[in-house]
Amino acid sequence: MAASTTLPDPRTIMPVRENSTNSANESEGSYRHLYVVVEHDDSNLIPVTLEMLGEARRLMDIFNARYSSTEKVVAVVLGVNIKKLCEELVYYGADAVICVENPNLRYPINLIDTKVISQVARDKVCASKVSPEYSEEFKKPRYMFFSADNVGRHLSSTVLAELESGLASDINKLVIEDLEIKHEHKTKGQLARYEKTLEMYRPDFSGFLWTTILCLDNRNPAIQREYHPQACSIIPGVFAPLQRDPARTGIIVDFSPELDQADKAVKVLNRQITKSPVDFDSHKAVISFGRGIKDSPEDNIKLIVELANELNAEIGVSLPISKRPYSVREPVSSLYMNSDRVIGTSGRKVAPAVYVAIGVSGAMQHIAGMKESGFVIAINADANSPIKDECDIFIRGRMEDVLPVLIEELKKQKQVMEVHK
Amino acid sequence: MEIAELMASPLNLAVIVKLEPDFSEGSVSYNSDGTLNRAETKSILGPHSAIASAAAFYAKVKYGAVISVATMGPPIADSALQQAQLISDADSLHLYSDRIFSGADTLATAEVLKTGIKKMEGTGEMDIVFSGHRASDGETGQTGPQTAWKLGYTFLGNVICYDVDIEKRIVTAKRLITLQGTPDVIEEIEAPLPVFITVDPSYRSVFNTVSLRLASVKYQKEAEQRAQNYKNYLKIFNAQQLEVDPKFVGLPGSPTIVYKVERIPKARASRRAEVIDGSDQQQLRRVAEKIHEIVGRVVNQ
Repeated sequence: MAASTTLPDPRTIMPVRENSTNSANESEGSYRHLYVVVEHDDSNLIPVTLEMLGEARRLMDIFNARYSSTEKVVAVVLGVNIKKLCEELVYYGADAVICVENPNLRYPINLIDTKVISQVARDKVCASKVSPEYSEEFKKPRYMFFSADNVGRHLSSTVLAELESGLASDINKLVIEDLEIKHEHKTKGQLARYEKTLEMYRPDFSGFLWTTILCLDNRNPAIQREYHPQACSIIPGVFAPLQRDPARTGIIVDFSPELDQADKAVKVLNRQITKSPVDFDSHKAVISFGRGIKDSPEDNIKLIVELANELNAEIGVSLPISKRPYSVREPVSSLYMNSDRVIGTSGRKVAPAVYVAIGVSGAMQHIAGMKESGFVIAINADANSPIKDECDIFIRGRMEDVLPVLIEELKKQKQVMEVHK
Repeated sequence: MEIAELMASPLNLAVIVKLEPDFSEGSVSYNSDGTLNRAETKSILGPHSAIASAAAFYAKVKYGAVISVATMGPPIADSALQQAQLISDADSLHLYSDRIFSGADTLATAEVLKTGIKKMEGTGEMDIVFSGHRASDGETGQTGPQTAWKLGYTFLGNVICYDVDIEKRIVTAKRLITLQGTPDVIEEIEAPLPVFITVDPSYRSVFNTVSLRLASVKYQKEAEQRAQNYKNYLKIFNAQQLEVDPKFVGLPGSPTIVYKVERIPKARASRRAEVIDGSDQQQLRRVAEKIHEIVGRVVNQ
């Protein structure tokens, strides 16, 4: 039922792209700046924060040049002992940092974080300190970024429910454009101009389609409403951070939230680091498999496990496999076809010395999770499979035929090596 | 509420679920370009919705909770409710179905679900609402938390197990937090009821005493019987019966629109592959040598 699963009706949406800057907007002035919600783990910045700042900087530099404005990249950071983080955020591209230092904000808790971030987003005083020239009519941020991980995904949802605006999840490309839109509901079928609209590109679950989501005001008089900020959650590991530059300067604004007892209802009793039984980081080789196992899933998984044992490798899977598309006996099914093993934007990022992709087509999301591997070998029956452009050796053939021979060769050579020792 | 009623049903639970494409072999159909063929693909109760239903069942077994399952969707979405009843032994099933709901984004969907859950509360306050981690087709994971916020319930995400102190009206839960580049953390939290829980994919119910296991079998049998006659438990609401404001649901109530859908352009090749014929043993020997060379070299460092 999500917007991203609904295909647009070509009769109702007619994009016309232009680059002109005039023609005033009713809501112009009320919504300013790009707010980036910072994620950190007890004062250690999570990489996606810097990636979001990098992309925010690039977008707003283009924006300000094109629209002759001085709107800011504003980082919002919550926590305890976060003063030194604020400077770092400036070095990585923020014009301003809104710093909310409070003992109740030590760990991410959705309830209190949502309250605080919503207060920050609506705060005129904060906005005027960030940028006096736009303080007059400020209502809310123009754009807002969150990280698409298992904290930011929920936080973005509740903040945007509170701010009553639109949110797109798992974004990996962003463009700001002036668009001419004709939409049955949004514009009552009339052509209307939407300036400074954030085009939010989202890869679908297959990895082959890109859906562009827009958050648009309702201009239709019957349902008139303003929807700002235009917000999204951003996939970790996609955008490049800027080079750290200690010469960069910015404004740091302290904010004291108004909290009541109910906001502090959730108590953290204990936190413990846990180790997933799946461990990609301490293995020199990672072997992954995808839908290519389909002809005889169980036997193929057995071969893959044998190869993994031979190389002392950890086993990963592509996203479709975690949805258990084939019936495979237990415990093999629970052991290998699960979301803990997914490599890619929906799972883990790996960078082993050797990566062997078996029956993996190479959807963009999967590639994002393995592209930093040292040496990549792909085994695939389809010579046109996209993985071919992402590997060093492409073995064309059915895994049922290739794997037994490869395993045999590895075993023989190991014996030879042991004799040599 | 009277004390006697409280005793009779110590916990009121709701589960929100979704009918989704069935990604299992034989049910799923892909187009030649690798995208999902929706017309040919069967629909089932989403796998994460199934886990949410199992989490509610835990409270039925342990605390004798009363369970209502709800979904928004077309009339055929009643099959998702039936499957959820089979898992949860739900006492009532609620389908929110109206043409004007279609095309809703997550915020407009949450509006319908919130209104529906508020309506259920006519019979008594809701204590816990469950939803799945994310749908396997839309994959936004936004609808659950947005419904929670609209309801004004404390949101607890990524929950892997939970228990309730009925007397103190407090829930304790463990949640799994995974962030980029940091070790995973299991966090133990407590919060006063009512709460809204989204279950992590790794959620498991553990019935660790004989009496719980026996109760679980009893309720499972009841669930099978109920699910066979699920229509007796089913209530269907349209927009008017639900008393939602049409401005806030469906396409008119959605801040976001899908502007365009396109194929993701092929990225520039990042590596130049040497292509090897998989039936050539000589060549595969060379690949094995290469692997040993790299893995061996790394070992020696």
